[in-house]
Amino acid sequence: MKLKLKLSLFNLLSKLVFAALFLLLLPYIIERINLRQVDNDLIQKREQVISLIGNIGIEPFIASDSSDAFGSYNILKDEFISLEKTDTDEEMNYIEVTPRFIEGEEIYYRVLNYSIKVDDHTYHLEVGKSLSSIQNTARNIRNVMLILLLFIILITFLTDIEYTHITLKPLDKITRKLKEISDPALFDMLPLRTTTSDFQRLDQTLRSLMTHINVLFQKEKEITINISHELMTPVSVLRSKLENILLREDLNPEIAAKIEESLKTLHHLRSLVNSLLLIARIESHQYLREDSFSINEVLMEITKEIRPIAEDAGVSLKQSLADDYHLGKANRSLIFSMFFNIVNNAVKNTSAGGEIIVNSIDQQNRFTVNISDTGKGLTDNQKATIFSRFKMRDQTSGDGTGIGLAIAKTIADFHNIEIAVSSEAGKGTTFIFHFPRNS
Amino acid sequence: MNILIVEDEKSLATEMAEFLKSENFLCDLAYTGREASEKIAINLYDFVLLDLGLPDYNGLDLIKEARMHNSEASFIIITARGSVEEKVIGLDLGADDYLAKPFALIELLSRINAVARRKFNVSNPDIIIDNFTIQIQSRKILFLGKEVDITKKEYDLIQYLVINQGKVLTRHQLYEHIWGNILDDQYDSNFIDVHIKNLRKKLNAYAPTPWLETVRGVGYRISTGH
Repeated sequence: MKLKLKLSLFNLLSKLVFAALFLLLLPYIIERINLRQVDNDLIQKREQVISLIGNIGIEPFIASDSSDAFGSYNILKDEFISLEKTDTDEEMNYIEVTPRFIEGEEIYYRVLNYSIKVDDHTYHLEVGKSLSSIQNTARNIRNVMLILLLFIILITFLTDIEYTHITLKPLDKITRKLKEISDPALFDMLPLRTTTSDFQRLDQTLRSLMTHINVLFQKEKEITINISHELMTPVSVLRSKLENILLREDLNPEIAAKIEESLKTLHHLRSLVNSLLLIARIESHQYLREDSFSINEVLMEITKEIRPIAEDAGVSLKQSLADDYHLGKANRSLIFSMFFNIVNNAVKNTSAGGEIIVNSIDQQNRFTVNISDTGKGLTDNQKATIFSRFKMRDQTSGDGTGIGLAIAKTIADFHNIEIAVSSEAGKGTTFIFHFPRNS
Repeated sequence: MNILIVEDEKSLATEMAEFLKSENFLCDLAYTGREASEKIAINLYDFVLLDLGLPDYNGLDLIKEARMHNSEASFIIITARGSVEEKVIGLDLGADDYLAKPFALIELLSRINAVARRKFNVSNPDIIIDNFTIQIQSRKILFLGKEVDITKKEYDLIQYLVINQGKVLTRHQLYEHIWGNILDDQYDSNFIDVHIKNLRKKLNAYAPTPWLETVRGVGYRISTGH
């Protein structure tokens, strides 16, 4: 999961938990506040009644009624006062919630009970207030709160996402920078623009690491190139000497053959050095990428070149070029030699009666070239090391220097072409080239 | 023709001189840039074979100097550094060709001849062997005036052999001339054998070709005396 999503989700979750807790506690809080308010009201009413009795006496309440009791509800029946003579001397002063049945309806009241002594008589005073209005208010407040909270959470979630997105942008940039390059030499050394010090530190660390790596790589490449050059002059001396001997008219055929053997060995030596040089040169970007051409044309040219060799070896070389791809910013001769080496290797590794198919096709929106043979195939071990330098595919076959595939891989990397191999021992091998998607 | 060989590796310079003398060129040697600079200023050369890796001199400066002296010499650059930039710079400065070490002596010869023909505007004469005519200008091979159908590569092969008539060419020399170094790591490839085989088949359909000889263990040769 992406970091910004993770952060935003965590924020959202914690907010939701707090909101839920708040909403859960809200009715209780509202009830407490309301009850206190009601109780205060009731006590105030009681004081009013007591002061009223003090002023006008108890008679106006009790005398008007023969049953020694007085009771009065207001119009909406959400409040009442009652005064009743009791026999007990017990003092009362408490507030409680009790139900009353009024016109067949059960209504809960908050009732203040109080005993008043007037002229040796004890009267029981009850002042009550209906709770239904309170409960309604609580429900309304809760509903409003719920909507308000959800709204706030939504807004803050969205701003969180946007904010983390903006804050983490430099991280995306760094990842992209690293992902886009196939070689440390291509790393963009411009400092990252960010106000987050952590990212600044990360960026700086990466840059200094890349600089260090580049220096080391460059040194290694220079050494390879210099050694190769130094080797070429003595090889050239030997070659010229041997060739001059070979041109002598009076040369004994046996010696001539030996000279040719030596020349062959010298070519082997040269090809080894050249291969190393080629890889070092590609990797240090000494090859221009200025050509733009059709891949199918290259493939056709190659099959045409190799067909005579395949025919001679009794191997059928087929091509099925379904789709074409136009490769731009490339080096044609490198691409040519990459495919040439793979097809030529396929011919070498396929015995008479076998078949090689060169096919180009758009697979899942991606141009792909497959070169498959019905040769001896590869073991898993060979597959794992096939593109490494100087790991010979088959120690006994002695074909080439075993570096051809490493060169192919280097050329592919240079052009952002993905190269893969699939093979079954005894059944054949397929080399797969995935070209970069056209943007 | 006069050739100046500028090469600090003495034994290579001597080998080149020995070969070119046997091909009837007059050769002069310079082992340092200074020496070469003096010789170019004094003498008239048709060709300068220039090694760029001189210890005392930037080889490319010699081309500039020669141009200043109005020298007519054609330059063929020889270098151990086969980098693209160097090649481009050299050719831009007016070098006529470029050879990377280690080169084949006959390749050097054929480059010199090609430059000379361009320079003196000499058209390539047809070469006749038995009843076959190799038309170098139109890149065709005819049998009694009738064109023999061969591939481009087969033609390149026969032409290179014919131009070097009498010399044994190794498979590698032929390969290098025709394909460059595409198959550098396939040093034991049988490309040449297959092409020679096909070529013989096509030519033999018209007339036997005993002049296209296989030299056992060495390579191929167009024999003279036919």
